[in-house]
Amino acid sequence: MTNRSSDLDDSRKKGAFYGWYIVAALFFASFLAIGLRHGFGVFVKTWEEDWGVTTAAISLAASIGVLCNGLSQPIGGWLADRYGGRPVLVFSLTVMALSTIAVSTVSSVFGLIILYGVLVSFAAGGVSHPAMAVVIARWFDRNRGAAMSILVAGGSVGGLVVVPFLSYALVEFGWRAAWVIIGLLALGFGVPLLLLIVRNKPSELGMQIDGEQHDESNRELPQSSAQYIGPDFVNKWHQALNSKPIWQLSFGYFVCGITTLAVAVHFVRWAVSEDITEATAALAFGALMFVNALGVLVVGVLSDRFQRKNLLGTVYLIRGLAFISLIVVPGDQAIWAFAVIGGMSWLATVPLTASLTADVYGVRNLGTLFGFANMSHQIGGAAAVLFFGWAFTRFGSYDIPFMVGALTLLAAGIVSLSIREKTHSVRYVQVIPEGTVGDESSLRDDR
Amino acid sequence: MPWLTETLAHHSEPIDPVLWDWISAEINHLLGISSGVMVVLLGALIMVLPMALLVMARRRF
Repeated sequence: MTNRSSDLDDSRKKGAFYGWYIVAALFFASFLAIGLRHGFGVFVKTWEEDWGVTTAAISLAASIGVLCNGLSQPIGGWLADRYGGRPVLVFSLTVMALSTIAVSTVSSVFGLIILYGVLVSFAAGGVSHPAMAVVIARWFDRNRGAAMSILVAGGSVGGLVVVPFLSYALVEFGWRAAWVIIGLLALGFGVPLLLLIVRNKPSELGMQIDGEQHDESNRELPQSSAQYIGPDFVNKWHQALNSKPIWQLSFGYFVCGITTLAVAVHFVRWAVSEDITEATAALAFGALMFVNALGVLVVGVLSDRFQRKNLLGTVYLIRGLAFISLIVVPGDQAIWAFAVIGGMSWLATVPLTASLTADVYGVRNLGTLFGFANMSHQIGGAAAVLFFGWAFTRFGSYDIPFMVGALTLLAAGIVSLSIREKTHSVRYVQVIPEGTVGDESSLRDDR
Repeated sequence: MPWLTETLAHHSEPIDPVLWDWISAEINHLLGISSGVMVVLLGALIMVLPMALLVMARRRF
């Protein structure tokens, strides 16, 4: 053992497992990347006035951004599987930060499309959940759900802090300076943090997954469940497509996209159609974001103690109830019911889906598989946004699209509950591959 | 297809500009702090986590 690893072993005994430092660094990266993308909306009116263009023209840049981000997530995940999460995260955040600074020089919608719609949004795919999940899954086994949920909560908190920060910076210094400031924050704090803290896997620092200690006296058996492989572990990502769980998980995530993106886009128009005051809508949306951050953390911790598919199914069913409340409860009360009930389930699907994918198929192809699930999320969301808009225009109310949302959530709940986790997950079915006992390090890192 | 452009006008991933107007009005109403002070407070909040994390990691490892 080198001196460096010996030091690390000593320090590990004294304090928190190093993996939690990595979680904190990824929390901050997620905080910046998602907060920055949410913040785009703050500048729309200023650009309209400065450039004399319509909201729809600026929305084109945002829409292209959503598309590019959806496409880049499986690519970012695949690259993280192949080269490790750290280089992908560092490179992507660097490109994202530099492109963000470059947005400050733009003076037309075309420039905005190129720099924000394509560059910032594509790079953001490399700082998204699939690439981060690859790192987390290699560092955590027992607390994987909790660790995933913390970095997901980072995005929610980012929305709560970075959006107002950009808004006030816009008022104080102008929009160009606001983009330079947030780009510099990402470059000056986010990138160094990833470089200095994040490591692809525990063995790079002479550590074990979950911070476990080697029991040198008994090398006949694996030292932890993390050294086993599961019955459905795959070497190539496309092999997973021949099994049922990936389709069940992706279907649920598709519905997740339908029900979150459609509400996010149509929230204002629904509130106006129900005569809800602006102040109530604003407070309720803030409450939803807060409850959502809380909900994801609670679900993440619970998911390490119970079957994840039961929690996932329950989350979809709870969100279904929130959709029904939008139909049956009067406007003012409906918005609060939705903020609390819907908020609990808003992002809770992310750590559950990512952790379950890792449990069933192993870590080796997690970024690619979870990236595809994310793409199905975005496709479902885009389709639902258009359907909700068409239905409101056709029927003059959101009752029918909300009912469709509730039914799809019921289906997602049933499909998720039907996942046979005890047959497919390495948490319940463990196989010791021949010839690997005594050489567990490779399994621990890449299984 | 007017609904399509209306839909696009309210972005999905970026926060809806109309909703943000409502939220910022509510924040100003509740807190009543000037934008300059808010920039400093929120900016400090953004920088605290990475700085603290780097210091803690450096001390321990």
